[in-house]
Amino acid sequence: MSVVAILTPAEWGTLWLSLRVSLLATAAVAGPGVALGWLLARRDFRGKLLLDTVVHLPLVLTPVVVGYLLLLTFGRSGPLGPMLEALGIEVAFTTLGAVLAAAVVALPLVVRSVRTAVELVDPGLEDAAAVLGAGPLRRFRTVTLPLAAPGVVAGLSLGFARSLGEFGATITLAGSIAGETRTLPLAIFQGTQVPGGDGAALRLTVVSVLLSAAALLASELVVRRLRRGAGGGQT
Amino acid sequence: MSGLEIRAVARRGGFTLDLDLRLGGGATGVFGPSGSGKSTLLHAIAGLLPSELMRVAVDGEVLVDLAAGILPPAHGRRVGLVFQDHRLFPHLSVQGNLRYGMVPGGSVELEEVVDLLELGDLLDRLPRECSGGQRQRVAIGRALLAAPRVLLLDEPLSSLDRGLKLQVLPFLRRVQERFRLPTLMVSHDLSDLLALTDELLLMDGGRAAAQGDLSTIAADQTAVELLAGSGLSFSLPGHMVRRDETGLGWVALAGRGSAAPADPAASEVACGDVTAEVGDEVEVILGPADIVLAVPPMDARLSLTNHLAGTVERVTRTEARCLVQVDCGLEAPVLAEVTERAVERLALTPGAPVVALFKAQATRARGLGAARTAPPR
Repeated sequence: MSVVAILTPAEWGTLWLSLRVSLLATAAVAGPGVALGWLLARRDFRGKLLLDTVVHLPLVLTPVVVGYLLLLTFGRSGPLGPMLEALGIEVAFTTLGAVLAAAVVALPLVVRSVRTAVELVDPGLEDAAAVLGAGPLRRFRTVTLPLAAPGVVAGLSLGFARSLGEFGATITLAGSIAGETRTLPLAIFQGTQVPGGDGAALRLTVVSVLLSAAALLASELVVRRLRRGAGGGQT
Repeated sequence: MSGLEIRAVARRGGFTLDLDLRLGGGATGVFGPSGSGKSTLLHAIAGLLPSELMRVAVDGEVLVDLAAGILPPAHGRRVGLVFQDHRLFPHLSVQGNLRYGMVPGGSVELEEVVDLLELGDLLDRLPRECSGGQRQRVAIGRALLAAPRVLLLDEPLSSLDRGLKLQVLPFLRRVQERFRLPTLMVSHDLSDLLALTDELLLMDGGRAAAQGDLSTIAADQTAVELLAGSGLSFSLPGHMVRRDETGLGWVALAGRGSAAPADPAASEVACGDVTAEVGDEVEVILGPADIVLAVPPMDARLSLTNHLAGTVERVTRTEARCLVQVDCGLEAPVLAEVTERAVERLALTPGAPVVALFKAQATRARGLGAARTAPPR
């Protein structure tokens, strides 16, 4: 029995789809997550509390509600529906919808992690960079971001792992379409619902556990490396 | 006009900084009680704190003038600031730190600064692999390489213990001699300031309480009170003549004017803590609280090694104690802190003969390095 034969072709497809959705979702939240984390850590502005609350809402809301709100917003009859339709973009019941659902639930994890990491960077170092002639962007790129990198990486890995496990928002917004939106958790659920699907559910469960564990392990290794490089917190 | 002009008004909570200064083009020592606004001044000049009024001009060249709309952000000010806690970037090597603020085609060469501050062996190290004194030297080099028009040193020595301080002090002096930048240096240690600066600025409550050299400041009653409150020490220049068998270093103190003292041995003092070699120019550092005053003739036999005879120049009364300035024919006056009662009992009035006594063990002498020729007065 070859390694490929451990999973059926359909199960391999599910795994590949899951990885694609999670990686795309993580890539999509990386920029906004870092920007929001920095903004909440370093700036005071009107509406900060509101922004903080909205960003973190998906963390406490049941994912089904998140998915339904996304459907109401991005669905065909939603406020953004006509505009998206004109652009030829369809969100509901598509892979893009699965990515969007995963991204929205992953975002707060990334923001929280980045925010904490940026807060731990001594603002005095940013001041020192400013006096040495570095403008805001250069300060961020050369001082804040490298020193906050372990937290950024940890946040992105958490976001990735959360995306892999996303169920409620995905099924509400994107449904469970084989090959398009049926990611690992959805396929496992499906397996438990149909007669004779137990084997597939079990195999995909093992795959899920291995994948999540590998993601966390890889993240931990990267974070350790970065910490060593960044001076182990010493300033 | 030449020199450094600073006009600064800044508010921070309930504290107001309000200064209008004309300083020489050399180094100015800024000192005063804690909370008097020393660091606030430096941070405001550097653009790290918002100010209501700010004008900085070097030799007539305006760097900042809020009223005229010239208000570059911190990164456009060309002001060098060395922080008390060095603030080296922990993720960059020493070289990376040094190069951080370098301007392409700038007037200051990396090699020159590396040579001057003896950083050649450290370039590939991370800051955490350097000693405190080395880190502070890197921080100074980093500030210089950004080619600033003004150098601000915010207690550059205070985080260092005495041994490490001696690894930095001579380098700061070299920097001054080589770059001749208008410099403001904040310190609590009056002898550091006297060793490194040409002029002093005494701050209190966000304002300039006095400005000038030490003798000008010591002539001012309020200034002396502030001096006494800020952990005053004073220094006497001289040169080391020998080290005796008990380990004491003997320093011949420099007399005032050209007249040689009648008895050279009378102006020699023994120092228990010496960081200099025989022949070096040194400064003897004393705390006024360590000085005992006696009225001659001295018929008692004392265990104290050091006697300096002189006359009372001035007695300054503060709330708790009196500061007696004694002229011993030396370059700088000897300052003794005594009680009001002692002043009355010994009849210490200007012109009265007096002997200043102090233990060799309470006396330290610090080498000033070969480059140094004249005391900073």
